[in-house]
Amino acid sequence: MSRIPPLAPATMTGSVTRFRNLIEALAAAPGDRPFVTAWIDENERETVTFAEFRSRARSQANVLRDHGVIVGDRVIIIMPQSISAMTTFVGAMMLGAVPAFLAYPNFKVEPSKYRTGLAGVTANLRAKIVVIDQEFPDDMLGHVSLGEKTRLLRASDGRGPGGEEELPELESHAESLAFIQHSAGTTGLQKGVALTHAAVLNQLEHLTHVLKIDGATDCVYSWLPLYHDMGLIACFMLPMVCHTPVVMQSPLDWVMHPETMLQIISECKCTLAWMPNFAFQFVPRRTPPSRWTQYDLSSARALINCSEPVRSSSMQEFHNAFATIGLKSGVLQSSYAMAENVFAVTQSDINRASGPPRIWADGQRFRSAHLVVPVAEGTPGAVSFTSSGRLLPGNEVRIAADSRSLFAPALAPGHIGEILAKSDSLFTGYYNRPDLTAEAIVDGWYYTGDLGFCLEDELYVIGRKKDLLIVGGENLYPQDIEEIVASHPAIHDGRVVAMGVYNPDLGTDDIVVVAEVERKELLANSAEIERELRNLVVAGIGVAVRTIFLMPPKWIVKSTAGKAARSTTREKLLKEHPELNVESWESKFA
Amino acid sequence: MTAEAQQMIEHIVGLIRKPGLTIDENTPLVSSGLIDSMALVDLLLKLEELTHMRIPPGKVQPKDLETVARMFATAQRVGKTRK
Repeated sequence: MSRIPPLAPATMTGSVTRFRNLIEALAAAPGDRPFVTAWIDENERETVTFAEFRSRARSQANVLRDHGVIVGDRVIIIMPQSISAMTTFVGAMMLGAVPAFLAYPNFKVEPSKYRTGLAGVTANLRAKIVVIDQEFPDDMLGHVSLGEKTRLLRASDGRGPGGEEELPELESHAESLAFIQHSAGTTGLQKGVALTHAAVLNQLEHLTHVLKIDGATDCVYSWLPLYHDMGLIACFMLPMVCHTPVVMQSPLDWVMHPETMLQIISECKCTLAWMPNFAFQFVPRRTPPSRWTQYDLSSARALINCSEPVRSSSMQEFHNAFATIGLKSGVLQSSYAMAENVFAVTQSDINRASGPPRIWADGQRFRSAHLVVPVAEGTPGAVSFTSSGRLLPGNEVRIAADSRSLFAPALAPGHIGEILAKSDSLFTGYYNRPDLTAEAIVDGWYYTGDLGFCLEDELYVIGRKKDLLIVGGENLYPQDIEEIVASHPAIHDGRVVAMGVYNPDLGTDDIVVVAEVERKELLANSAEIERELRNLVVAGIGVAVRTIFLMPPKWIVKSTAGKAARSTTREKLLKEHPELNVESWESKFA
Repeated sequence: MTAEAQQMIEHIVGLIRKPGLTIDENTPLVSSGLIDSMALVDLLLKLEELTHMRIPPGKVQPKDLETVARMFATAQRVGKTRK
């Protein structure tokens, strides 16, 4: 199998990998340095030092041990974004157990749906314990079948006894599982990405190197959920292992008050943050300009666009808005990351003062030949792409034609194909799912399902090949939405397609659903059916659908197997509804 | 209904941009999927404008914005006078 020569990585060894596991890295942190600050508002926050964090984590470990948790047991944690959630996670790792964060239920989701999803994940992980907080709603758990061997535990805040008690030295070695992270927000088809201590440490080693992390001077800002790889790896494990303070707020508090990002970076002089593309336009658009001058972003040295395709217009908007309040040029950067690789595959060069490279390509060749032929900026009909950066050390990327054949040739630079990744931090498999693992990793290469191309040592990601929806940086499976919509009596079973359609006002995808009614006459009740479908989807998975198209029978394009064909149905819809078709990559690529 | 509540309803109808949609003070907005999480801030900013108050972060949950009536009650409960 050939590789693309310009993207061949360098190998290196360095400081983080001197630790045998993540707990050893935490133990080496200076005790009096602040670690986590949980920021609620300007008058309410809590900071723990590394020593206090260790003590609380040991206390949590003792509680878990008293409940029978031993080496290798899976521990599911469902708690609001908090220091307690983090110390519980680390407490489990201190015992050599394998923790996993799951999303906290939001009030919109119907309890029965939540219970079903949770029961599925718990069964798949064969979890020993599910840890929830004191305020966890009872109706979300009542009647949940956790299985005979799974117990439920209400968490304490970790300030109980046992914090000073030394635990036996962690026996887990580099190849032991450290934790499991889930790759999608919806629960129906949750895949648990199993990661070893070695894989996580390798990833953090590379990130530390390319981002030049300095524990003594850096400070991470995060609103990212801990069940998401950006929140867990970049904003929790990286600070823990590099001994860097992190200021964290809950995702919900941020999304309701995006302005607080400016406030926290200013107050706490944060230097690093990761955010999905949409946040780069969400923050300036949802903060009244009259208040911008209250803030100062001069402490920031890298704000990294990650987990959605990078759009230069979003980054430009952020830069234009905040250059006057200290945002330096070259601070806005990009990265391509996924839970299956622990986190990042690429990172843009933070020394490059103009940020990640942007190129323009011939629109016609792009559409017809799936080939990127650079042209001058401003050429009529040109399409533009922003780089997601260069390979991290220890990482390789291959662009493959649409084929799973082992002999599928790697495509040359400029050719668009599926991105395959291989690295020293790649996951070992989906927990307890050898079937899905065998599908995803072939001959050591992980098939990411993302489409992209390489050019001059840079990787450009243009969208999803798989049908996954990415909304606000969070992954959603269309099947979850389609199943719920199809359960409505007016909808023809199996004739539903859910898709993500780019919304330039938001900088992320909107959820759009096309569904066939059972009989044409039902279209007279469209408004009522639509309202019921919205209710069903929100109650089922907690997300709002932007637009629902109810269609007469036989409208949706079927595959040869008789199933609804997502991509062709999508093309048909975009053709009939050109208003949806704004600047989306598929309009260029279809 | 107060003039402010009426203005909020008009604002929400404008946000949702759905022909023929009517809502009143008690129409569920969040649990019905009419308002997604990324539009909650638009409700809060409008609420701050209409009440001349600041709604501090950390004190509001999406369910506090479930209906127009509840939004104004929430502002009464947690809102602070603007400096």
